[in-house]
Amino acid sequence: METVEEFLAHAVALEEDSAVRFDDMADALEVHQNDEVTGLFRRMAHFSRLHLAEAQKMAEGLDLPHFKPWEYKWPDAEAPETPEMDATHYLMTPHHALTLALDSEKRGHAFYADLAANNGNDRIRELAMEFAEEEAEHVALLETMLAKYPLPPGDWDEDMDPPVAVD
Amino acid sequence: MAHTSVSIALTGSGGAGVMTAGQSLLDAAAKAGFYGLMGRTLGPQIRGGESAALLRLGTHPVQGTDDGYDIIVAFDWGNFARFHDEMPLNPGSVVIADPHNGAVPDVLAPSNPHVVMVPFHDLAKGIQGGRVNMVGLGLIAALIGLDQAFLIERLSRQLAGKGAEALAASKAGLEAGAGAAAAITGVAPLSAPDPARGERWSLTGNEAAGLGAIQGGVRFCAAYPITPATDVLEWLAPNLPKVGGMLVQCEDELASINMLLGASFGGTPSVTATSGPGLALMTESLGLAVASETPLVVVNVQRGGPSTGIPTKSEQSDLNIAVHGLHGDAPHVVTAPLSIGDCLFTTQWSVYLAESLQTPVIVLSDQVLGQSRAIIDRPADIAFIGRRRVPETLDASYRRYELTADGISPMALPGMEGASYTAEGLEHNPFGHPSTQTNFHEEQLAKRRRKVEGFDYGDPWAMTAGDPDADIVVLTWGSSTEPAREAMERVRAEGRRVRLVAARLIAPVPVDRLTAALEGARHVVVVEQNHSGQYCNLLRAHMDLPGTVHPLHRPGPLPLRPGEIVDHLRGL
Amino acid sequence: MDVPLEETPVYKVKSYKSDLKPIWCPGCGDFSVLSAIMRALTELQLPPHQVSLVSGIGCSSRLPAYSTLYGFHSVHGRALPVASGLKLSRPDLTVLAVGGDGDGFSIGGNHFIHACRRNVDMTYIVMDNSVYGMTKGQASPTTDPEWPGSKLTPDGPGVAAFKPLEMALSAGATFIARAFSGDPLEVARQICEGIQHPGFSFVHVLSPCVTYRPEQKTWRERVHEGFPEPTDDRREAFLRLLDDDAFSTGILYKGRTGAFQPHAEATTRAVALGDQFVI
Repeated sequence: METVEEFLAHAVALEEDSAVRFDDMADALEVHQNDEVTGLFRRMAHFSRLHLAEAQKMAEGLDLPHFKPWEYKWPDAEAPETPEMDATHYLMTPHHALTLALDSEKRGHAFYADLAANNGNDRIRELAMEFAEEEAEHVALLETMLAKYPLPPGDWDEDMDPPVAVD
Repeated sequence: MAHTSVSIALTGSGGAGVMTAGQSLLDAAAKAGFYGLMGRTLGPQIRGGESAALLRLGTHPVQGTDDGYDIIVAFDWGNFARFHDEMPLNPGSVVIADPHNGAVPDVLAPSNPHVVMVPFHDLAKGIQGGRVNMVGLGLIAALIGLDQAFLIERLSRQLAGKGAEALAASKAGLEAGAGAAAAITGVAPLSAPDPARGERWSLTGNEAAGLGAIQGGVRFCAAYPITPATDVLEWLAPNLPKVGGMLVQCEDELASINMLLGASFGGTPSVTATSGPGLALMTESLGLAVASETPLVVVNVQRGGPSTGIPTKSEQSDLNIAVHGLHGDAPHVVTAPLSIGDCLFTTQWSVYLAESLQTPVIVLSDQVLGQSRAIIDRPADIAFIGRRRVPETLDASYRRYELTADGISPMALPGMEGASYTAEGLEHNPFGHPSTQTNFHEEQLAKRRRKVEGFDYGDPWAMTAGDPDADIVVLTWGSSTEPAREAMERVRAEGRRVRLVAARLIAPVPVDRLTAALEGARHVVVVEQNHSGQYCNLLRAHMDLPGTVHPLHRPGPLPLRPGEIVDHLRGL
Repeated sequence: MDVPLEETPVYKVKSYKSDLKPIWCPGCGDFSVLSAIMRALTELQLPPHQVSLVSGIGCSSRLPAYSTLYGFHSVHGRALPVASGLKLSRPDLTVLAVGGDGDGFSIGGNHFIHACRRNVDMTYIVMDNSVYGMTKGQASPTTDPEWPGSKLTPDGPGVAAFKPLEMALSAGATFIARAFSGDPLEVARQICEGIQHPGFSFVHVLSPCVTYRPEQKTWRERVHEGFPEPTDDRREAFLRLLDDDAFSTGILYKGRTGAFQPHAEATTRAVALGDQFVI
């Protein structure tokens, strides 16, 4: 990553992808009448969009490069703050949902912290530091929230009824 | 005394060329101003099997076979016993055979024909490149009074690429045959054709169905070959591209019908042609066409069933599957052409119905209509062109399966911005979203039924003829119409009053129109070619037929003949 | 600053998303494929009304209704002929077909073979979870012969698993790829390339079933980039497949045969076709 424009393009995509994924997960949980987790995911999506707006504001006036979705330089398969869809479950509890969110914020923090430490561009390092600090705040916030929702008993995913035939 | 119609059978095997001879005779007779009809019967061999060309020529339009044949020309008797019952003899008929092939088979003896021996093979051998079928043609032309010049003109075109020797050999064959005819007495020639005749066409029912489809607006066909429907496809393949369309040969009938669904979903009126086994494979997706309200037309050229049955012979036994073969309550349209020429009108009308109603239409043609060639008057122009209702405004309020008064909902087409939807085979709400809700199921079932049953099918629903107030009604559908019409005319000539009602619209059963058409009937004779009386049963399930009902039905492979219907009518 | 108009993205991911929410189990791989399709379309800036999405029956076949594309949710096994008929008669449209392993390789297996050899320009995305999800978890053609998880085949199906990529290559498909739903950006890349490829493009997506095959969670560890670059050499492609453990991902093969698309300009009026019958 060599230019500020490139960096901000990543910052925008990171938050955008995260917002879309949290919304998709909220939809999935809503269809399965898990209202508590649906609400949590909607809030996560909302926060991602707030951060997206901040990143977009910083990019105002700049000509950000276009990357194809698979061309971004993410450390993993997807943008760091995009929670993995297969980590959801229809009976998941707020504990699971917050753990998922916390993990994604931690990955976001690690992504920015790495740039802040290792990138060769002074301005990118500076910005990455700012972003990393903000992510650290999110991590702390989520840790506080998570403390209110201890690990549920081991049978949290037990369903007395079998799955049904649909089509 | 001259005849107004004569029936001729040419039979032979092992490459005698009876089909070519029959076709040449029909074409030449057409040029000379006659009307006519040619069917065929074939052995199971792909090449060289026993076969017969079955012709009827007349001074007036003939679209059905007579009770029997006036002239049988047999180049040999190979396997004749297998299909002799398809060639009954008329009283006073003449059988012309080659003495080298032995005596006339015993099966013909009860008819007591006038037998004449003509050494076809010797006569042909005496000519360089001579063929028995040309000798036979020359003989027949002389017997029925057809000017040989018309045959020579026809042969000149047919043999244009084969050089002067071939034509000379054929001419010599015709001459030899004409010479042999001079010794045959007792065959009356045909009367002279009507000099005031207009333009006439020569076509098979399968070709007529193809033309009707294209004239109705069809531009896409996907199909799998099957006897006796393949000729529809072979005609469409070169003709669809001429109007900017295409035919795609598929891996099976499942692919055919589903390709039609895709093409029609895209806005292209579409047709396929098949026969019983193929129709059976298509029924699941015909249900999808009903549920998703996707228009399409299936021309089902019926053959003997069930299962593989008798692929080369006619039967009207797919009515049940066409009407009832779909699972669930699946209202759709079933039609039937009434004659070879009517395959054009009925198929074109069916495209119009499919497009107007956004529903599948099954056209029940059959082998005898599809594979017989007829000389007919130029068909009248047909006003029915498929027009699909499309939305006037395109926005988020668009509902593909909107509940309308007539049940027909505007259909958006891919490419129309702002009205995209998902065509759905699951039960759905008016937007097309899947739903198991009671009210949506009831509304959509009612809507689909309303559009099909409430539609004004107009006069084409049936053809009527005869004495409008007669208390004897002959009720037919599809190919049983022509023999019944001829039977009616014969009985009327005897002084009886009879009327004919021939239904083009099979389903939905037009109860009100049928009730009106049958008003005052004391006898209703329902004529059809199947074993169980499928049409009669269908009508009885939907309405009370007036008077005494006489189901008159029998299966193929023998075609229905006027005489058997006459016998029944005389007994009333 | 001035941005040329044609470079301004008009369509965003949400332009392709309908108001209908998927009924899939949370955690299902199909969510990622849905989002990958939308990302590919966004990348290509294809107007939603110019794209059609056809499916058969099964969990993944529910996908069209979740989009704002012109969808056709057809019957079991028949997505490919429906899509073929649409594309052949409307070559102006971008046509996608989607479905599952049962829909595409079992009941629709014959259409799969013939769609590969017919090479109509469309993209077929199969979400393969080796199980029938909508009928309560029976073995599918791609299920391991030993899998004991279904009441229908308690001792395992006992039949060797179908090999979709080998079949596609043998039958003549000109674009063959495999991805894992857990890597949705790679799925999007393959779909994007498949759409751009002129011919029949087959994208095989390993898409785990969380309900009937929870053990497929381990697929994340098993998948590996086995096809880093496509080859245009069929022999090379076959050799790669002989070494394939069914978890190699990437674009395997890109052939050069042109797409099948009959086209004819009208030269005659329909009513004039009757002239050929005049005596």
